[in-house]
Amino acid sequence: MTATEQASMIGVRLPRVQDDRMLRGHGYYVDDIDEAGVLHAAIIRSPVAAGRLAAFDADAAREAPGVALVLGPDDIEPLVDAVPSSWLLMGQQITDWQIVSRTVRYVGQPLGVVVATSRAAAEDAAELVGMEFDDQPAVVGVPAAQAPGAPLLYPEVGTNQVGQLHVGSPVEELESVFATAAHVIDLTLTVPRISHSPLEPRGIVAEWLPATRQLTISSSTQVPHLVRQEVAHALRIRVDQVRVAAHDVGGSFGQKTTLFPDEGMICVAARMLGRKVKWIEDRSEALTASYQGRGTLSRSRLALDSHGRFLAIHADLHGDVGAFSSSGTGGTGPFQVAGLMIEGPYRYEKAGATISAWYTNAPPTAAFRGYGMQEGTWIRERLVDQAAHELGLDPVELRRANMITADQLPHVTHTGIPFDNGDYPAALARAAEIGAERCRPSSGRVRRGVGLASMVEITAYAPTFLQEMFQIHWSGWESSTIRVNEDGTVTVFSGVTSVGQGIETALTQVAAERLGVPPEWVSVQLGDTSTATYSNIASQASRALALAGAALWRAADTLRGRMLALAASALDTTPEAVRLSGELFESKEGATVSWREVAHRGWMGWGRDDPDRIRLEETVDFDPPSIAFGYATHGAQVAVDLDTGKVAVEDYWVVHDSGVVVNPLIAEGQIIGGVTMGLGGALHEQSTFDSSGQPTATSYLDYIVPVSEDVPDIVIEHFESPSPHIPGGFKGLGESGTIPPPAAIGNAIAAAVPEIARHLTTTPFHPSRIWTLLDEAGLTG
Amino acid sequence: METREPREQIEISAVINDHAFNGEVPARMLLSDFIRHEAGLTGTHVGCEQGVCGACTVLLDGEPVRSCLLLAVQADGHIVETVESLAGDERLSAFQQAMKDEHGLQCGFCTPGILMSMAAAERHGYPAQTAEREMLGGHVCRCTGYVGIRAAIRRCWESGPRAERTETR
Repeated sequence: MTATEQASMIGVRLPRVQDDRMLRGHGYYVDDIDEAGVLHAAIIRSPVAAGRLAAFDADAAREAPGVALVLGPDDIEPLVDAVPSSWLLMGQQITDWQIVSRTVRYVGQPLGVVVATSRAAAEDAAELVGMEFDDQPAVVGVPAAQAPGAPLLYPEVGTNQVGQLHVGSPVEELESVFATAAHVIDLTLTVPRISHSPLEPRGIVAEWLPATRQLTISSSTQVPHLVRQEVAHALRIRVDQVRVAAHDVGGSFGQKTTLFPDEGMICVAARMLGRKVKWIEDRSEALTASYQGRGTLSRSRLALDSHGRFLAIHADLHGDVGAFSSSGTGGTGPFQVAGLMIEGPYRYEKAGATISAWYTNAPPTAAFRGYGMQEGTWIRERLVDQAAHELGLDPVELRRANMITADQLPHVTHTGIPFDNGDYPAALARAAEIGAERCRPSSGRVRRGVGLASMVEITAYAPTFLQEMFQIHWSGWESSTIRVNEDGTVTVFSGVTSVGQGIETALTQVAAERLGVPPEWVSVQLGDTSTATYSNIASQASRALALAGAALWRAADTLRGRMLALAASALDTTPEAVRLSGELFESKEGATVSWREVAHRGWMGWGRDDPDRIRLEETVDFDPPSIAFGYATHGAQVAVDLDTGKVAVEDYWVVHDSGVVVNPLIAEGQIIGGVTMGLGGALHEQSTFDSSGQPTATSYLDYIVPVSEDVPDIVIEHFESPSPHIPGGFKGLGESGTIPPPAAIGNAIAAAVPEIARHLTTTPFHPSRIWTLLDEAGLTG
Repeated sequence: METREPREQIEISAVINDHAFNGEVPARMLLSDFIRHEAGLTGTHVGCEQGVCGACTVLLDGEPVRSCLLLAVQADGHIVETVESLAGDERLSAFQQAMKDEHGLQCGFCTPGILMSMAAAERHGYPAQTAEREMLGGHVCRCTGYVGIRAAIRRCWESGPRAERTETR
């Protein structure tokens, strides 16, 4: 029987549990930590992109007012070990990264740190550090890295190529299809580097207490356990000497997913000083020296027969890892996933991807919301639309005719990815219907068009056997602990983290649902390695709710059973004869005992059946048996101004399936936020560099993120195919919205201005790029 | 024009959220740093230090300003209001409540600045469209896609005391 009398908490638009305090100005971000006794740090960074630091003179800086410590590369290097990468690309020879090096590989590379009594004093002193460099020519962008005779970032490797992997059908089989197919669409497609640009930049406060030999870190991070693991490794101390806590995190989007070199330096400084040291990144550091994302270039082909049936798809994909392959989920992982997920929701006779990665003189690239799947979708959906354009077919019909149908699922792709369930054509059909309703005509010099893009995405990542098979050192499993405290309140702990996505609220709903108590009784506590269950991947990969929620679902079920048994003991009856009604357990005879009294008796150890279980706490480790796949079709209507080249997204709609949705308010917020981030990449965002490797998008004046007027009110329709693999039927959706927008918007521009369709191969579609294409097509009048 | 040394301490008097502040501040200290680290009101956030993102917006004599583009000494003789002043002990302001109900915040970092701009819009009696297009247009939010914030503006302006001032839409 069920213990609960309350209405289901699943599917409820519950406002978020942290909003009251945040709206009152009581958020608690890393720069909000009390400053009593804190020293402040400034990072000394390289002003050149490539070369060797020949001289580092910190004498004047050490004498500057308020300065406590100045460290240069020769001071730091002997104290630290290199941090190992978590996922290597086949052939990768350099398998770790250095906290500091005299070899400079990007502008902004940290070379040292100044610690002083104030941030201003630290920055003043950092200006006094004299540095000389033996400059070398910079490698800017993948084509430069590939060029014969290119300067080498790692001469010992003999090439700028990190490694290479082919997935899916063998190359010879693919080539034989392309050689004989009736039609081959062949495009070179580019996605530039972009900046995650969370509104809160990175930041860290580190304190070393000589008395306890403990390093306590507060960090704006998605991955406290990974930071602990990497700091301990780098500083040659035990992991149990390091505690990492992430309080409120002001956005992350895949960036704050590893220890960064500058953060490592702060920990070194704190340890040397035996003090509390704070470093808060500023916006220009965030835009130029922090890790970036995406950065891919591909030659991609789609082969079709004379009836428009897809025969083969192949992407020869080249990713820009930057100066080194970052650890955690960074490095080449996103490029590998772009290739592995190239097929999307369609059938082919052959499919595959050849994935290469390249070192360049730019900051490393990290995970970025969508993790390669935006890039894969961009490639595939531009090819599909271009095929429809060249063959004179309706793009919706071409998609439908080649799409995997509901009765063909489960389906294993040529690259070995096991799609689970859902109805991909139904989402396409509904999105096409919405497009037909919303289509508006061109007017004067403004052309309008509708474009669609369909995708399947990996969520709830991932089974540990898969990680072991591919030697990816991420903890795919996730765990949750639920505790009924001695006063009857309920506390939930998990390894997943809060980065603004609303996970505390969703887990509150799951706990309340399964335990049968009001959500107000539940507190979800995340982000502190001293209390959280282990997770080195935490809130990434659209996994937090699906996996921590599944673990919590099971843990709460067990704990509910134990509470019923304890209540039955107190009421001198059997658990089957007890029900929870409000705050009271009732027996059939009408006797009652309060939830709180049962909790108290439980912690006293009274009345239990099981002699070995006392604490009212359950922990469940959940290792998903397979990946859960979300899917969607997005639609965009754009207006293209032929005189200015400006593209306005006038309408945007999403038909998606993320399994069982726990909180539609939060789910829609994630989708809309994701779409906006995708729209930013489609229209505005690009981390640019000049030919010497100097970053040229260094502030929000030249790195353009979307503002309100860029984003229409977005229509969302949910389908709900419960995951067959996950208790609760959950799938993930944090990345979903981000994946299709560049393709959908690109396809909409192509529909509006078919004359330039073939040339819509590089994002962002900013006015100068579009105007140039319009001008070349003779459309600017 | 009078020049000052950056490290020079200068005496200022200001009122912050109904509390009088009389004391010395460094000549070069930003108003945002003063509010956060001297007055201890950490609800005001610094997102870019270039006046673009709007997270640091506070009211100076009732007008929204970027506190990262002002020096603390420029608050001398003025009244400063920050996000901490908006809610009552028990209840959120009407717009704060609408932001909660419409899911107008995610990570919450940009939120205080938006709240201050909207507080100014309400006091000035700006219509919803002005609040939505011009006031919200001056803020960057990286999480929400703005849709929930616009919904909160519409909800708040179309109900309650501002409704009669809202133009027909």
